[in-house]
Amino acid sequence: MDANKHKILNDLAQAVIEMDAPRAVKAATEAIYCKIDPYEIITDGLARGMDKVNELFEQEEYFVPEILLCADTMNAGIEVVRPHLPKENTRDKKKVVIGVVKGDTHDIGKNLVKIMLDNAGFEIYDLGRNVPYAKFVDTAGELNADLVCLSTLMTTTMDGMQVVIEDIKNAGIVSRIMVGGGPISPGFAKRIGADGYAKNAAEAVKVAKGLFQNIHVPLTFKTPELVRVRKKNS
Amino acid sequence: MNHTDEMKPKERMLSILQGKQADRLLVSPLILNFASRSLNLTVRDFCTNGRNMGDANIACFNKYRHDIVYIFSTTSTVAEAMGTKMYFPEDDAPQVETPFIQTRKDIEKLKPVDPEKDGRLPVYLEAVKRCMDAIGNEVFIVPVIGAPFTTSAALRGTETFIKELYTDPELVHTVMKVATQSVKNVIDVYVKAGGVPVTVEPVATGSMISEKHFREFVLPYLKEVYAHIHSYNLPGVLHICGKTKRVIQCMAESGADILSIDNIDLQEAKELVGQKVCIMGNVSPADGMLKGNPETITLMVKDCVAKASDNPKGFIVATGCEVPIHTPHENMVAFLEAGRTFARLPINLN
Repeated sequence: MDANKHKILNDLAQAVIEMDAPRAVKAATEAIYCKIDPYEIITDGLARGMDKVNELFEQEEYFVPEILLCADTMNAGIEVVRPHLPKENTRDKKKVVIGVVKGDTHDIGKNLVKIMLDNAGFEIYDLGRNVPYAKFVDTAGELNADLVCLSTLMTTTMDGMQVVIEDIKNAGIVSRIMVGGGPISPGFAKRIGADGYAKNAAEAVKVAKGLFQNIHVPLTFKTPELVRVRKKNS
Repeated sequence: MNHTDEMKPKERMLSILQGKQADRLLVSPLILNFASRSLNLTVRDFCTNGRNMGDANIACFNKYRHDIVYIFSTTSTVAEAMGTKMYFPEDDAPQVETPFIQTRKDIEKLKPVDPEKDGRLPVYLEAVKRCMDAIGNEVFIVPVIGAPFTTSAALRGTETFIKELYTDPELVHTVMKVATQSVKNVIDVYVKAGGVPVTVEPVATGSMISEKHFREFVLPYLKEVYAHIHSYNLPGVLHICGKTKRVIQCMAESGADILSIDNIDLQEAKELVGQKVCIMGNVSPADGMLKGNPETITLMVKDCVAKASDNPKGFIVATGCEVPIHTPHENMVAFLEAGRTFARLPINLN
């Protein structure tokens, strides 16, 4: 039985790496049939595959099309498992609000970061692209977000990040802030008061995790019984 | 401001292209939508009206005397002319709103552009003609065209399109073929109007796709484009921004004679492709032009010249990508002054 379980989980990871959605669905179905714990199916199967994808991206073996398709494959697997998950318990997940700042509709970079952070165990609230500054501030406040991620590809919108960061701080919201995107340099990130900068999606995970090491973000705001805006990409 | 210049920009470029003595290297910041500033136009008013687009570029040239006048608003203009819907912010470059190919069936409706009629291509064309009339004897007028892969991505939606490199390669090639024909049609009318068209392929950047995909889906069509440009006895220029190290070898195989590059060390670029092609670059648009100051920009220009002026096939001092529209005037002046000083031939940086 254990050998079989091992084989199925490997199969799931491999399906994600190889962008093979039908295989992921088949293996996930088999896993459920074999009564493997749904969390294990995700964590030790699908998400483990995605971790490897992240590595391949870092090593420049994989590029954007590969990541998008691997993520689609993982999501196809998760959809099979989802009905079998016990009622969700996400209390200890760090909440991340992410979006492309107003004036810019380029969202591939943001989507990659979202995929990677989601896989790394963060709870993602995706505001999409061309997001008004106030929307970041309001959502971060409402959700008592742990992290706000701002992305842009354009030089014309990069100053908007500074506005968002200032507004978030002025509103007394304690979320940490990470920025990234084509024109953004570490120096710029620092100057505008960001807590973290990542040069790509793989690094974003490390930076985001680093921001929370040994740091307890105080829950000084109202508890988030509010709307769930979590969107799944499939 | 151009007291050190002995030649006119056009004369200089011709001398360099013909291998004759020139007073200095070309200095060509990628002034695109930034030209709107010279007539205090919003980008929307600039890029939707051929008269504005032309006159702003003429005013900009008369102000800065840069070596190449580019006519451009966005890389998606050919896709727009083929049916992609754009969003025009008041004072920023247009962006794709709704790609034309929503379902696979839509590719049947795809047809090559008529540049005299479709989308905003007539706007560009009018701008080229106005510039030719006013300053065409002094400087080359260079309309910038989104190359086939970038055009196709804007027709399909970039995210969907690059996934289809795996899931529907047949669709990719079908779209690429029509896009390539469109690009060639656009080249034809620009050349007829006296322009020297260049192509940009930013979606094929090494930050986005692998070399394998570049070779399979991008390179064959680029080759077709540059063969077409060469049939007019014009040089081929290929601009790809973002990280280009991964794909620069392929870029050099495309038939382009000049590579405009962004995020790569010029020394390294020189070693990789310098025997084959002229390179141009790469002062940072964001950290340099927009956020830098005259002193830092001067150093950046000097650094570029130091690294690449001895490139076997030549070097053009440029920015890595588009000059941001909010670039301060004094930064632009500093870039050009530094270029005129350091790129003077023979090169002497001391």
